[in-house]
Amino acid sequence: MTGYIVRRCIAAVIIALGVAAVVYLLLNFTGGSPAAAALGNHYNKITAALWNKQHGYDKPLVVQIVDYVWNAIHLNFGYSYKQGQSVAALLNEDAGRTAYLSGAALVLALLIAMPLGIAQAVKRNSIGDYVATGVAFTLYSMPAFFLGLILIQFLALDLHVFPAFVGDNVTTTWQAVTHPLEMALPIVTLAALTVASFSRYMRSSALDALAQDYIRLARAKGLRERAVLTRHLLRNASLPMITLVGLSIPGLLAGNIITESLFNYPGLGLLFYDALQNLDYPILLAYTLIGGILTVTGNLIADIAVAVADPRIRLD
Amino acid sequence: MTGMGTTGVLEVTNLSTQIRLSRSVVEAVGNVDFAIGAGETLGLVGESGCGKSMTGLSLIRLLPNGGHIVGGSIKLRGLELVDLAEDDLRAVRGNEIAIIFQDSQSSLNPTMPIGRQVAEPVRLHRGVSKSEARERALEVLELVGLPHPRERLDDFPHQLSGGLRQRVMIAIALACEPKVLVADEPTTALDVTIQAQILALLDDLEERLGMATLLITHDMGVVAGRTDRINVMYAGRIVETAKTERIFAGMRHPYTQALLGSIPSLDQDRSKALYTIPGLPPDLAPPPPGCRFAARCPRATEQCQVEEPPLTGEDADHLFACWHPVDGPVERSVTIPHATATNGRAEGDRLLQVNGAVREFPVTAGVILRRQVDSVKAVSGISVEVGSGETLGLVGESGCGKTTLGKLVVGAEKPDAGTVELAGKRVFDLRRGALRRARRDLQMMFQDPYSSLDPRMRVHAILREPLQIQRVGTRREQDEKITNVMREVGLPLTALERYPHEFSGGQRQRIGLARALMLDPQVIVADEPVSALDVSIRSQILNLMRRLQVERGTASIVISHDLAVVRYLSDRIGVMYLGKLVELGSSDDVYHHPAHPYTEALIAAIPVPDPTVEKHKGAVAIRGDLPSPRNPPSGCRFRTRCPRAQELCAQVEPLLRPFGPGHVAACHFPLQEPVGTAEPEAAHGSAG
Repeated sequence: MTGYIVRRCIAAVIIALGVAAVVYLLLNFTGGSPAAAALGNHYNKITAALWNKQHGYDKPLVVQIVDYVWNAIHLNFGYSYKQGQSVAALLNEDAGRTAYLSGAALVLALLIAMPLGIAQAVKRNSIGDYVATGVAFTLYSMPAFFLGLILIQFLALDLHVFPAFVGDNVTTTWQAVTHPLEMALPIVTLAALTVASFSRYMRSSALDALAQDYIRLARAKGLRERAVLTRHLLRNASLPMITLVGLSIPGLLAGNIITESLFNYPGLGLLFYDALQNLDYPILLAYTLIGGILTVTGNLIADIAVAVADPRIRLD
Repeated sequence: MTGMGTTGVLEVTNLSTQIRLSRSVVEAVGNVDFAIGAGETLGLVGESGCGKSMTGLSLIRLLPNGGHIVGGSIKLRGLELVDLAEDDLRAVRGNEIAIIFQDSQSSLNPTMPIGRQVAEPVRLHRGVSKSEARERALEVLELVGLPHPRERLDDFPHQLSGGLRQRVMIAIALACEPKVLVADEPTTALDVTIQAQILALLDDLEERLGMATLLITHDMGVVAGRTDRINVMYAGRIVETAKTERIFAGMRHPYTQALLGSIPSLDQDRSKALYTIPGLPPDLAPPPPGCRFAARCPRATEQCQVEEPPLTGEDADHLFACWHPVDGPVERSVTIPHATATNGRAEGDRLLQVNGAVREFPVTAGVILRRQVDSVKAVSGISVEVGSGETLGLVGESGCGKTTLGKLVVGAEKPDAGTVELAGKRVFDLRRGALRRARRDLQMMFQDPYSSLDPRMRVHAILREPLQIQRVGTRREQDEKITNVMREVGLPLTALERYPHEFSGGQRQRIGLARALMLDPQVIVADEPVSALDVSIRSQILNLMRRLQVERGTASIVISHDLAVVRYLSDRIGVMYLGKLVELGSSDDVYHHPAHPYTEALIAAIPVPDPTVEKHKGAVAIRGDLPSPRNPPSGCRFRTRCPRAQELCAQVEPLLRPFGPGHVAACHFPLQEPVGTAEPEAAHGSAG
């Protein structure tokens, strides 16, 4: 198992470096030069050439890529000329808040989806099951900003239960944690989207597990239905969820862009959203790179977690 | 042992169970009566779908969705279970009435250590502490013969072999010393050798613990030696009931007769067709009027179609439900004979030749660089030959390498060493085009009729595909060929436009056989061709295969764990053990004069559908499990389970020695004296 983890970690690092290189290359092809973005009104051929020489953009592409990757390893993601700050500093500021928002949303989504999926499987084809399925599909097909707007309209503007936006008093991660009322709507918006797919998945894996003979044998032992579900069904039905959760981690980051900009929450999503509008290349690069790294680590963690939870899987 | 007359521990009267589906109601169990006394075993026999499992599940009201008891009474020592409150019934389940299911692989929770699974009912019903329950679990695991139970308590089910898992399931059932044990096909998923061990264990435990046992099975051989009384079920009804000896000697219902008659026995005359029951069991939603067996019964009259026969008899000890009862078992040789089969192999006829084939699957380990540390020795140097028109049977326990050998023959696996030659040409030396051409002559028939046919292809496309791949004939010629083959395997042409899921298991197996025949191969490898089928369907397919063998003269290799099946289809039989061929000879030699102790043990382990034979069988002939093919024992691989093993067996690997014309076996201490001297040459299968 240790050998497996070591091997996978090495592979993960190599993949992440590859992702960095590819991302740099892709952005280079999409047109629009960093010089134009940085110089703004002062942009002309001469200033651009000068700027490019100064910042190493005149070197061969391969060298640029190697430089970028080398710097990225040292956590240097370049300098945002638009914001006048190093990208690393900007990320460092926002990463904690985004991690809190994403993490809270993920936990909330799992807390709702897992019992809901099992309940739906147990009471399959009942009215409750159909209603839950209908709601899940509606949420699944709903864009994040639309759901967010509905929540703001009803819960904030009409009923005044929660504030409509995350106020200026929430700037640090700790403040975000200690202001649950302000954070409620962003977290719920982000969670609702994942609950939909998680609960569908949980329902089908619980249905598979329910049909197994060990559930029948558990009942034949005289266990209460509750004990059958918690002791025998839950762990087995959750196994496929682990992979799904691992894969959804980078997806949460994408969902953050809309949710954070909608609620004006200062996280990575908002940073990226602004950078996108300003063509702030170093930030865009760094954000894409983070997405890639999260995908790789999410997968790795899921594979290890499955092996820990399922004794039948031996990693070697 | 208490008879039917005395009060039983469990008394079931007039039990009826229905399953409500979305559009119909299935009458799964109808008016069933039986009683079982302490220490007594009642056998419940019938084909799948006859309601025997539903009867078992009804006892503890664990029916599938939509299932419920609609009438009758189930009394456990006077306590009525049919209308008992759910809470009170839970105190009965696993405590007073315990159940063993067929498939130990899916019946044990894969993510819970076995010790906890056995301790669970003890904690629940005995209200003892965790450590006390664990001690009890240890006790029962010891009782069911799990070796080194203390070290195994924290093992997970997948770490145990099938036989050991079944012992764990029995331990769970016995943990609370139940009064009634329901064993639903407890040995169907197991090898004969393991089956014999588990049945002996159940027998012993019943006697020691004085349980009333309901043994549910489709296998007349299993009930013959293990039951006091037998209920034969058909389409939800009990059609015949009597003491075991009496029912075998003087059965009265045509279904009982057919059930027994359709199993090939070890002394079956191979030139005769097997007794078959035509058709399939009826749909029970709703059941047909009159006698439910009438549609498949050769004796059915108009009365049978309209009037249901009551369960009566001359005396209360033998009841049957039939208007035109038969008298005793069917005379096996009265059946229609096949065309005379003379599949003898001419001297020097070597259509297919396997020479010293070796196939090992690597096991790897290592932190960064994967290196091979070990290998699973699936096939370790086997040489066999098949002559044209000849059928070679391969038998052995699961894991002995017989399927891998079959795959080597058809070219689905490549040997690591050794050769496979078809008509003198080495199959794996052929270039691409020639190899594809050679595949035409090597076809395979699979075990599982469900997963071996593409569900999205119509039968027509399934049968045409091999012709297209091999570019045989024009479209019209292909159609003609398809029509002919369909006729040969006994399928109507209307079936061509249908999809595999529209057919029954037996019909699908016919389609699988038709596909194998499409290219007129020289050799067909049939891997467990009938083990997924019900008894009555099994005999239909066996008859078909036998008929085609004779008519077409195709050489074949039949692989099966079922020795009776192999014997019925094969001219010569090879017995395999852990990747080695331990005995090879004609069917008669191998079955009637085996030289290898393993062969003898395998044959002794088969349950014979005759109570007098079964009850006088000695102790279990072979103990324990197959050793790991990663580390086969030194010398003779069978020595760890062999009663005759001596010092020499561990040191020197025995070579195949001749025991008569075409009869070889690899044993240092054989059951009979070898003929001539041991030649190393014999190991390379110059048997013939």
